[in-house]
Amino acid sequence: MASSPILDLSYRNYDGPLEAPAARWWAIAKMTMRLGVKKRGFWLWAVLSGYWYLVLMAVFYFTEVFLPTPQQAEQFFARIVWKDQFLNAFSIGQLVYFIIALLIGIGTIANDNRANALLIYLSKPCTKLDYIIGKWLGIFVPLTLVVAGPTLLFYLYGVLSYRHYGFLSQDPWLIVRLLFMCTIPGIFHASLALGISSFFNQGRMAGATYSGVYFLGLFFTKAMQVIHTVSAINGAASPKIVETLYYFAPDGLQIAMAKIILGTDGSPLFPGLGGPRGRLPNPIHAPNAALFALLFFGICAMFVLIAWRRVRAVEVVG
Amino acid sequence: MAVASIRNLTVQYGSFTALSNFSVEIPEGATGLLGPNGAGKTTLLKTLLGFISPVQGGGEVVGCDIVQSPREVRQRVGLMPEQDCHIPGMSAVQFVAYAGELAGMPSDQALRRAHEVLEYCGLGEARYRNVETYSTGMKQRIKLAQALVHGPKLLLLDEPTNGLDPAGREDMLNLVKSVSHGKGVNVLVSSHLLPDIERVCDRVIVVLQGQLRAQGTIKDLKRIEGHPIDVELKEPSERFGSALEALGGKLLSQSSHWYRVQAPGTPTDAGKLALNAARQAGAQVRGFQVAERSLEEAFLEAVS
Repeated sequence: MASSPILDLSYRNYDGPLEAPAARWWAIAKMTMRLGVKKRGFWLWAVLSGYWYLVLMAVFYFTEVFLPTPQQAEQFFARIVWKDQFLNAFSIGQLVYFIIALLIGIGTIANDNRANALLIYLSKPCTKLDYIIGKWLGIFVPLTLVVAGPTLLFYLYGVLSYRHYGFLSQDPWLIVRLLFMCTIPGIFHASLALGISSFFNQGRMAGATYSGVYFLGLFFTKAMQVIHTVSAINGAASPKIVETLYYFAPDGLQIAMAKIILGTDGSPLFPGLGGPRGRLPNPIHAPNAALFALLFFGICAMFVLIAWRRVRAVEVVG
Repeated sequence: MAVASIRNLTVQYGSFTALSNFSVEIPEGATGLLGPNGAGKTTLLKTLLGFISPVQGGGEVVGCDIVQSPREVRQRVGLMPEQDCHIPGMSAVQFVAYAGELAGMPSDQALRRAHEVLEYCGLGEARYRNVETYSTGMKQRIKLAQALVHGPKLLLLDEPTNGLDPAGREDMLNLVKSVSHGKGVNVLVSSHLLPDIERVCDRVIVVLQGQLRAQGTIKDLKRIEGHPIDVELKEPSERFGSALEALGGKLLSQSSHWYRVQAPGTPTDAGKLALNAARQAGAQVRGFQVAERSLEEAFLEAVS
């Protein structure tokens, strides 16, 4: 019998194709996404992100089916502003989007710093720009899909089931507005996660910092909301500054952008169902579009710029 | 044919000149890059990879201009860095395949090739383990695997035996020697360990204070001027030295029963003279060889 190995294990040169060294960001984005969606927590939270749409579907379905007369159903649906339902679901999903961003995004540069991974990336035909774009897209795409999935499914459900209640006629451009709205958490969290992550060598530290910023902002937002609600219950209008400050938080900024894109101030979750003393406070008005769009994109650009400055050129020898 | 050619390269960090009017041709094969700390080795490697733009001068690496086409250079070059480095959250095969994709390989080819190079680097059994669980020796091997995956024409190895135990060091040197001889891969090894360079490389480049101090084959660098020979006698002989000098030779040094002898003419003439001297001294010659200095001595002379 021959004693030579069945398989030739000696080194052989690679003579297959090599793509031109451009657009390496896509390879980085694909791998960032692959590593992100591999985490089990991602799928759990992705499914949970659309729970409010399920609640809405159930409420609308049972209202239509179980109200005694068609007139009562019509009265109920006449009060519904359809795009506000999307806004409410978007607002309620904020915490889940943040948790997903923590899971898939916050460690992206910090963990690379810890493992000296930049040495690998930048010794290949990749530039710093490829790296930043790839990492940014690796967070943006999954997060946008998480937001868009349930939103578009509910839109489809609405088109099929509630056309006769003005689902399409209220705002024919709703689908376009929704598509833009779905990109907001992706843009925001991808930018902030990159910037914060680039400061640290440990994903956990970056996560803790981002959580601190987020929950501090959330606390601030809720405080403004409480002031607004108390004022409304007492029959007074809340100060303008309270309405503006409500948006100065990670959640608030995204909700502000959603209101600007959808062109609405929003409405209570279920209009006409009552509340304390029989009335619910009016929602906080949409902010100044130009100012908040500038603020939103300015903050995002600033954090991406931070990441750009923090990602250093490779050290070949220590 | 030169695998890299650097001409009149000047690199500065602020007011500090790291490389000054540096010109060198790195021939095909295995070349060692020697120099004390701060000599400019790092800067040379960075410049070869296109990370640093020189103030003046330029050059080509595997046919690509280092200033105009740094990405093309990096596509044809593999770097095995000194520090531990990997991409977190990946198994070895994923990591090496990803390195291939970053270099431009289609993903299916990168995966196939990752299996091949991991097998070659001795990580076949551990290829599905997370890289973060690897030992130091395994991490060194995987760094070599990721540098090799896209089939580079030039491999830059930075302290490849750093942190390895003797057996691991032996394995790594064998791997590097195997890749660099007869496989079409050219290697530039930066190391402070002269025995490693001597084991693996055919040529060396000595850098000091940003300037080229010496280059050539190791054999040439170790050669001593005047072609002395080392003569081994069966036992030390007091009369051997005087007999040698009587015949026109010169005893340069003696260590136990080894004598370093210099004589006019070629090493063969010196050998004949040593045999005659031994006959006259009644000593028995066990053998002789052309004397050469150690690489360490050659290096110290170059940098002194």
